[in-house]
Amino acid sequence: MEKVLLRNVDLPGSHTLAVYESQGGYRALKKAVQEMTPEQVTEEVKSSGLRGRGGAGFPTGMKWGFVPKDSPKPKYLICNADESEPGTFKDRVLIEKDPHAVIEGTILAAYAIRSHTAFIYIRGEFAFGARVLEKALAEATQAGYLGKNILGAGYDLDLILHRGAGAYICGEETALLSSLEGWKGWPRVKPPFPATHGLFGCPTVVNNVETLAALPWILDRGAGQYAAIGTEKSKGTKLFSVSGHIGRPGVYEVEMGYPFKRFLEEDCGGVPDGRKLKGVIPGGASMPVLRADEVENVRMDYESFQAAGTLLGSGGVIVMDDSTCMVKAAWNIARFFAHESCGQCTPCREGCHWMEKIFARIENGQGGTKDLDTILSVSGNIIGNTICPFGDAAAMPAAAFVKKYQEEFEQHIAQKKCVLRE
Amino acid sequence: MVNSFWVGIQLFTFYYSLFTVHEAIMETVKLTIDGKEVTTSKEKTVIQAAAEAGISIPHYCYHPKLSIAGNCRMCLVEIEKMPKLQIACNTQVSDGMGVKTQSPKVLEARRAVMEFLLINHPLDCPICDQAGECWLQDYYMQHDLMESRLGDRKQQDRKRELFGPYVVFDGERCIKCTRCVRFLQEVTHTEELTVVNRTDHSTIALFPEKILDNPLSANVNDICPVGALTDRDFRFKVRVWYLQKTPSICPGCSTGCNISVETYQNRIARFKPRINEEVNGHWICDEGRYCFHGLTEVERLTSPLIRQEGGLVPADWERALQAVLAGLGSAQPVAAILSGRNTNEEAFLFARLMRRIAPQVALEVFYQERALTEVEKILKSPDHSANFRGARDMGVGPNGGLDALIQDLLQGRFRGAYIVGEDLLSLIRNPELKAALEKLSFLVVQDIHLTPTGRVAHVVLPATHFGEKDGTYTNRKGRVQRLHAALVPPPGTLHDWEIFKRLLALAGEKGVPAAPAEILQQIAAEVPGYQGLSYDRIGAQGIQLGGDAQQP
Repeated sequence: MEKVLLRNVDLPGSHTLAVYESQGGYRALKKAVQEMTPEQVTEEVKSSGLRGRGGAGFPTGMKWGFVPKDSPKPKYLICNADESEPGTFKDRVLIEKDPHAVIEGTILAAYAIRSHTAFIYIRGEFAFGARVLEKALAEATQAGYLGKNILGAGYDLDLILHRGAGAYICGEETALLSSLEGWKGWPRVKPPFPATHGLFGCPTVVNNVETLAALPWILDRGAGQYAAIGTEKSKGTKLFSVSGHIGRPGVYEVEMGYPFKRFLEEDCGGVPDGRKLKGVIPGGASMPVLRADEVENVRMDYESFQAAGTLLGSGGVIVMDDSTCMVKAAWNIARFFAHESCGQCTPCREGCHWMEKIFARIENGQGGTKDLDTILSVSGNIIGNTICPFGDAAAMPAAAFVKKYQEEFEQHIAQKKCVLRE
Repeated sequence: MVNSFWVGIQLFTFYYSLFTVHEAIMETVKLTIDGKEVTTSKEKTVIQAAAEAGISIPHYCYHPKLSIAGNCRMCLVEIEKMPKLQIACNTQVSDGMGVKTQSPKVLEARRAVMEFLLINHPLDCPICDQAGECWLQDYYMQHDLMESRLGDRKQQDRKRELFGPYVVFDGERCIKCTRCVRFLQEVTHTEELTVVNRTDHSTIALFPEKILDNPLSANVNDICPVGALTDRDFRFKVRVWYLQKTPSICPGCSTGCNISVETYQNRIARFKPRINEEVNGHWICDEGRYCFHGLTEVERLTSPLIRQEGGLVPADWERALQAVLAGLGSAQPVAAILSGRNTNEEAFLFARLMRRIAPQVALEVFYQERALTEVEKILKSPDHSANFRGARDMGVGPNGGLDALIQDLLQGRFRGAYIVGEDLLSLIRNPELKAALEKLSFLVVQDIHLTPTGRVAHVVLPATHFGEKDGTYTNRKGRVQRLHAALVPPPGTLHDWEIFKRLLALAGEKGVPAAPAEILQQIAAEVPGYQGLSYDRIGAQGIQLGGDAQQP
């Protein structure tokens, strides 16, 4: 399979403009601003079948289409580089190793929605990535890919790098907007949606790093070539960041629809030290865990993961072998969400910490027989009832761990300790 | 796509409405809420449309005067064709929409929200001032009624932090609805409070270096649906279910904010705002809210006093009133100053009385201008005279204004004076005024307590205050509004209107009306602009002079 996203990352000096240009970099931008209208760019992306890689999988071209064309307000394009999902580190590789692909993609998307000010909102902890992007932005501006009259085509764009201040919730697009405006990173109630009332109340599109980084390839090679990769509904390639009990952890580019089991065993080297697979979280910590037996026939695309009862999410694959205490794993994840819930709306604010307290109690041998029912009930009371998807993200994995490893939880409660730790 | 289309329609409707208001109002939609067909205008949200139809959807963070926060999740309702429950406060109505506020799914979500709100709540209702008017208590009874499933420790928070002179914060009772934060952002623009921290550590806090002491600060206590923000002045005084509530008008200035005078054991415990969109909306200012302390909590005079050798001595009403008539009659010309807190009915009788007994009278209502800050201007008027306009309408001045009258007084142009309800010596800081009053051959002071001004009088008459009498005030903008007696006056006192009535009778006047309602009838018959008024027509929300409501 030809690489779309990781095509440059192994080249020496891949982060420099010279190397990026030597690989055909900014050719797509030249083609777009000199030969295509913004609508044609949007159409091309629509027909490529590209879907948002931040987790929700919403068709990218369609998202751009919601921006009102006749609005007198400025329009904003935001590159969401607030990659904070536990187990996810794919955007980081693109940012650090191929920053110009991210920048070119951002310019292309901004052009498509007629935006003249765009932002890269980068996670605060990505200090190195921010420095790499800063240098790349300076190079791109110097070369005339940013600023006034880009490539002589009469299109202007300022691209501003903004570092976040360390809250997971700021990766949620409306919390990101609040944060970028200088407010506490709180998600906003919808409607209105960012496409009409986004940054500073203006039409705004927020796209993930990986989504944007795919655009230069798509516009350079044509939507048809991209759409030829992957499955009927999940087009192209997807990055997966693999961690945990696995032979070769790292970031992999995979054609959509690739068999998950083969990916884990052959591409990633399988579970090491002769141990057995116990479970795997396929899409970052906020997605339901899959038991080893559920992994068998799953393919790596949006629809297959959904059919298996989980979601592709961010592609953060966390592998757990049979030495893993699932109670402790569930507690660990619950603790993360209890810490990161923004505290704005009732179910998530109160429910996340409540679930965490129960998991902690079970892990510490003080669980009661009603605790598992309570977790499932609390989780159910959060799902679908919150302002933003964070509530679901915290509640879904909690319920999945309890349901899929119920015996282990019951053992913990009955024996008042972890059997695996002896 | 749907969304941008919808916004386009909204904008169009708005601009269209600027030019053709009546057509825009006609743009209605029909929806069903719990099977009941509801017709409303398309700008409304589900929670508003339901309220109009008499269906109350439970909520905490929604407040009609504040922006939509959508955070409490209590108003989740089921809307046909939508997979998830929607918050009624942020869902616009549309034609053919079907809303269910009592479906099993909704009831379950509501119960869940109640449980979430209560798991970390301290349940200290027995010592909470909000108990009895707490939305958590009310909704618990209606929607929750289950035992706690929390087997762990509750989160703890600050139990009594002083946010400002009138606001005490209890973080453990707080449900983070952000009504207070939004009020300070959107109404006063003073922004003293914010939410800090995350998850269930979220709490309301003052910004560094700030104190919640803006002129409208205590309204946050009113809009707090739970016991998180309580009124420092009212805390621990009385359980709210013992309060008697009497609708009235704030006597603090001439804005005429509608209030509820809430009393316990014949004392005022607190003022609360009463909603009147034409006057004060939902708010009252702090100065008005607490003005009852200064106006009512004084050592009351319970007997008329007459000056004899050696000082003021108690006398019976008959003697005192005779002395007033005789004294003023032989001390012409007379300066007569009425309080800005006297009612229209009292002003009407006072003007009639003075013209009858003192042909050379200079009549004025007490009125002093004051400067206001921007935040004060949201509600306050630049005076402390709640009914100066009404008094003038009744014929009490203006004859050159209070300042001119005081000048004349200082220059010895009067021999007699009748001062009602205002302590001139404290209010007018002129060192020569006391000597001028002492030089008068006859001075009557009528007030609820013995003021410095009263101490130099020849006769002092014990009267009643705004909280003890019926009547009307006319605010600065010409709105006539009702005062209702909330307290029983102390024995030995008479209402100002009763005193004027008895003096008129003593002076031989015929046809003196016997009670405020009768006085208003005469006002309605005689005073230009007040034709056709009656207590019934004024009602709970008042009547604008010259407005449609006044026409028969």
